[in-house]
Amino acid sequence: MAETIDSVRVRHRDLERYANCALSIGRTLMECGTRVKVVHDGAAMVARGLGVEAVGLRSGYASLEITVGHGVNTITRMMPVGRHGVNQRLDLAVRRLAAKAAAGGMTVDQINAELAHLVASTPRHPAWFVALATGIACAAFGRLLGVDWPAVLAILLAGTAGQGVRHVLLARNMNFFVVTAIIAFLAASLGGIGARLNGSATVDMAMMASILLLVPGVPATNAQADIMDGFPTVGSARVVWVVMVMVFATTGMALAQTLLGLSLLGMTQ
Amino acid sequence: MSADVIVQALPHLGHQALFGAIAAAGFGVLFNFGPAMLIWCGAAGAFALAVRSGGQDLGWPLEAASFAAALATSCSAILVRRWLGAASGAVALAGCIPMVPGAFFGHALLGFFAVTTVQPSEAITPVVDAMQYMLRVSFTLGAIGAGLAIPTHLIRNPDY
Repeated sequence: MAETIDSVRVRHRDLERYANCALSIGRTLMECGTRVKVVHDGAAMVARGLGVEAVGLRSGYASLEITVGHGVNTITRMMPVGRHGVNQRLDLAVRRLAAKAAAGGMTVDQINAELAHLVASTPRHPAWFVALATGIACAAFGRLLGVDWPAVLAILLAGTAGQGVRHVLLARNMNFFVVTAIIAFLAASLGGIGARLNGSATVDMAMMASILLLVPGVPATNAQADIMDGFPTVGSARVVWVVMVMVFATTGMALAQTLLGLSLLGMTQ
Repeated sequence: MSADVIVQALPHLGHQALFGAIAAAGFGVLFNFGPAMLIWCGAAGAFALAVRSGGQDLGWPLEAASFAAALATSCSAILVRRWLGAASGAVALAGCIPMVPGAFFGHALLGFFAVTTVQPSEAITPVVDAMQYMLRVSFTLGAIGAGLAIPTHLIRNPDY
């Protein structure tokens, strides 16, 4: 009798470790900006690779839940998810790890250690390079929107400064939406003032192009993909998040317009 | 369409493709794509903007041209999956980022802010303008999302 009870306890402890390991994979994928279907597939592949017979997942915007079962034993665990970003290289590396774990033969400790190594060592571009590339992208966006050449340098500098300051503020764990408003104000002001000083005839569009680094394009398209994949809860949450980001970005931009003496009505023409 | 019309449209198409490539690659850096994949992001951005601009030059509305561009980019990324692997979907998405109507979104919200600054009798034009921008944002984003997603649902991807 005592042996039976011990055996069940051990099984539950094993299942708990499997569940937490699979959730760690899912959480990392979600924080990399992956679609929910990929998150569920990755976590389920890891759990099955560890020997779990039955897997069920539920995802919210800020947490993941998993139920794993083996024989008559089942266990449900939840794990919070941090800020959603976009990290393509880490995303691909974690997917490869999930596929490797799914083939079997890896222990929980090995998977956890490899995941921790990937999170710590997956290369990122230097912050200065990201800021410069973002500024160049904003300037290119500006040309696509029809800004004139005198405004391009101003947009480039404003986008670069905006991304650089955003990187610093987010590293200090400042609220994402507050950072969005601050960066929108900063980038739009710099872009507008620079374009005006350079004799641009498209100051309003230059200000708009300067804040395009804040437009959450990946979450916006992922929201629709999630809903199409059958995950309307996260898809809807992403839509709300996108709208909130744009409201804060526009607030920052409206303040910058006030600073430059541009009317709101004039900007919308 | 005559050859002259095509030749006349080439500078505009080239301009849009060039700056689409730069924007897509620039945002690819922000999304932490690897160096090799950044080239693919640029190519996808150039292709997407060329298709969209070509469609608009033919008189298509922005939403239809964006849908066609996203669909073509997604299909093309699937065709070159041999080289892109599991990143093909992400590369197609990065290529379509320059088509996301962020400026329209900003205009729409600024328009709604502006409604609060005028008399009710003068508010019709700003409200209609803002609504038009918001609808165009919704339809264009929906078109891009659908164009990217449909091929991935029709063609099985062996990569995880």
